[in-house]
Amino acid sequence: MRQHSVLDRYLGPLNGPHTMGRGVAFWVGFVVVVAVLASFPEYMRRYDIINLSNFLISGFLALSLSLIWGYCGVLSLGQAAFHGIGGYAYGIVALNLFNAHGNTDIAFFAGIVVPVVFAAIIGGVMFFARLRGVYIAILMLVVSLLIGTFMRQTADPSYTIGAAYLGGMNGLRPASVDDPLLPSLIFGLGETVIELDGRRPAFFYFVLGLLVAVYLGLRCLVNSSYGYWLVGCREDPNRTETFGYDVRLIQLGVFCIAAAIAGLSGVLYTAWGTYIHPDGFGVAPNILVVIWVAVGGRKDLGAAIAGAIVLEWVSLRLAAEGEIAFLVLGAILVGVMLIAPNGLGITIGDYIRRGHDRAIAWVRAR
Amino acid sequence: MDVAADVFSYAYQYFDNIGFLILSASGLIIIFGMMGVINMAHGELMMIGAYITAFSYHAGVPAPLAIIFAGIGAGLAGMVLERLVIRHFYKQLLSSLVVTWGLSLMISQGFLLIFGPTILNVPTPFGNFPVAEQTFGIYRLVLFGGALAIVAGVWAVFTFTKFGTHARATMEDPDMADALGVNTRNIYVLTFGIGAAMGGVAGGMFALTATISPFFGINYTPLAFITVVVGGGANVITGLLSSVMALASVQTAVNNLVNVYVGYIAMMGAAFFILLLLPRGISEYLERRKIRTERKVSRSAPA
Repeated sequence: MRQHSVLDRYLGPLNGPHTMGRGVAFWVGFVVVVAVLASFPEYMRRYDIINLSNFLISGFLALSLSLIWGYCGVLSLGQAAFHGIGGYAYGIVALNLFNAHGNTDIAFFAGIVVPVVFAAIIGGVMFFARLRGVYIAILMLVVSLLIGTFMRQTADPSYTIGAAYLGGMNGLRPASVDDPLLPSLIFGLGETVIELDGRRPAFFYFVLGLLVAVYLGLRCLVNSSYGYWLVGCREDPNRTETFGYDVRLIQLGVFCIAAAIAGLSGVLYTAWGTYIHPDGFGVAPNILVVIWVAVGGRKDLGAAIAGAIVLEWVSLRLAAEGEIAFLVLGAILVGVMLIAPNGLGITIGDYIRRGHDRAIAWVRAR
Repeated sequence: MDVAADVFSYAYQYFDNIGFLILSASGLIIIFGMMGVINMAHGELMMIGAYITAFSYHAGVPAPLAIIFAGIGAGLAGMVLERLVIRHFYKQLLSSLVVTWGLSLMISQGFLLIFGPTILNVPTPFGNFPVAEQTFGIYRLVLFGGALAIVAGVWAVFTFTKFGTHARATMEDPDMADALGVNTRNIYVLTFGIGAAMGGVAGGMFALTATISPFFGINYTPLAFITVVVGGGANVITGLLSSVMALASVQTAVNNLVNVYVGYIAMMGAAFFILLLLPRGISEYLERRKIRTERKVSRSAPA
């Protein structure tokens, strides 16, 4: 048991009842998976690395929905709205400040802060009005569709914000030929300038590192006492309230955290393709997020990320076969909801856990 | 004379919006009130109805009969969905939401693959009539009349037939109804079928005015949902009518004052505001008030 005490000492805050995998085997596997991912640029085609960067960006969006739906029981069918808002905020600020600053530092933060402010306003009204869960779910979808409808009709040249022209169906673009193009991530720290072009391995490493950091950070969060509040709100809001916790504030807080993560994914997405488009607010991107998280497993952060990456890969492969991708994804969603209502990732995880426990018991018995 | 024409125009639009909302929501409210399931695939059932109507019409079937075919087809599709998938998700609101959304994706994408992005439209019948230099379509009034007829029909079925009594008993207390010999399984299948058939008829009626595409449904599902939620589940008929009247008046006014987009947002805002005041919908509030006045009357009456 010595080994476990070492684990507890260094990984204590990361482990707890609200995430799968807390033993040596899990953490070794985790390091191996990250190392394998990090080694991909060494021997994979550039095209695959660019796609993989995008899959990892989807992982952030899956994390954000897993956090509010899986842990706090607040389903939002419009989570992609925050992704889109973050992307547009990043793009608009970057276009305006790039010539003056030469970097996108402020744009990066704007892409996270703007969705949070939006979430605080809309979430404040929804949670303090004590709307029931289904209403919140649909209302968020409607909000997302309405933003999309608005953005789609911004082709009129009067829709400019400084150097940024909203551009309607053509997506965000510079207002005039003198204005800069939508830049990739360029961080300036004093004199040093770090440029992360979405088509290069450096961008991939950055996204991978950020995803691991956000994943570990959220693991600490959901296994802290705050995580118990969240799960309390999910399991029985009335009882949680009776114990003296303000369920509305807890829900609002986690809604804002999720919006920040979704906004971050929007920033990375916009920087990845130097492109952002109103279709990101439509039905398809919103339902995709729900499919990743429901199929992977909403009640575990890692399962949600795995769901996003695997299903994104599946849809890319299916895209080559014609337009059957969404049909297959819809069938996967319905099938998994019927066979494994908690998600495939969690069901598989439970099997592994049981097998592992049995193996240990067998070894002890010898 | 201009004022009279404007008043007529407003009234026409108001009834048009009412008819639209009733048709979109009537099937959904039955399924929601009965089984506690939000059917996100309701718009796709309407889409199936629209396709059946269009194909039958172009095959030479007269439009009214084509719309009846639409109801039958969508009703059967709904019963199949209920048996295969939806029965596993009764009273699980969020899961039912997600799984039916998956079904809606499968249906709309399947139609896209089979029939392509658009099909031949059906012409709008009956033509127009003029009122003081403006023209109005007669078919819109037919839609409104059809919507009222559907509501009346549902009311009659659920009030006067044996099936209706059993269905309401199942809605109240499924276990008790089961114990008293009601076959609740059949009731669920049939109610879902009726709700789906109403969606199919509505889709068929809209098929005569709207562009038919595999993504026809998404125009209706959110609106139908909002109408259902504002109406509440306490009394299906009063809930539907009161909610539709309230939302359509906001929509009509703002449509005329600003534009259709803001009208849509205003309607969502109004729905939200009503839910703030009456979290369980208008019909719940009306039922409570009715009970309260009845009590008052019985108390003040001389012994």
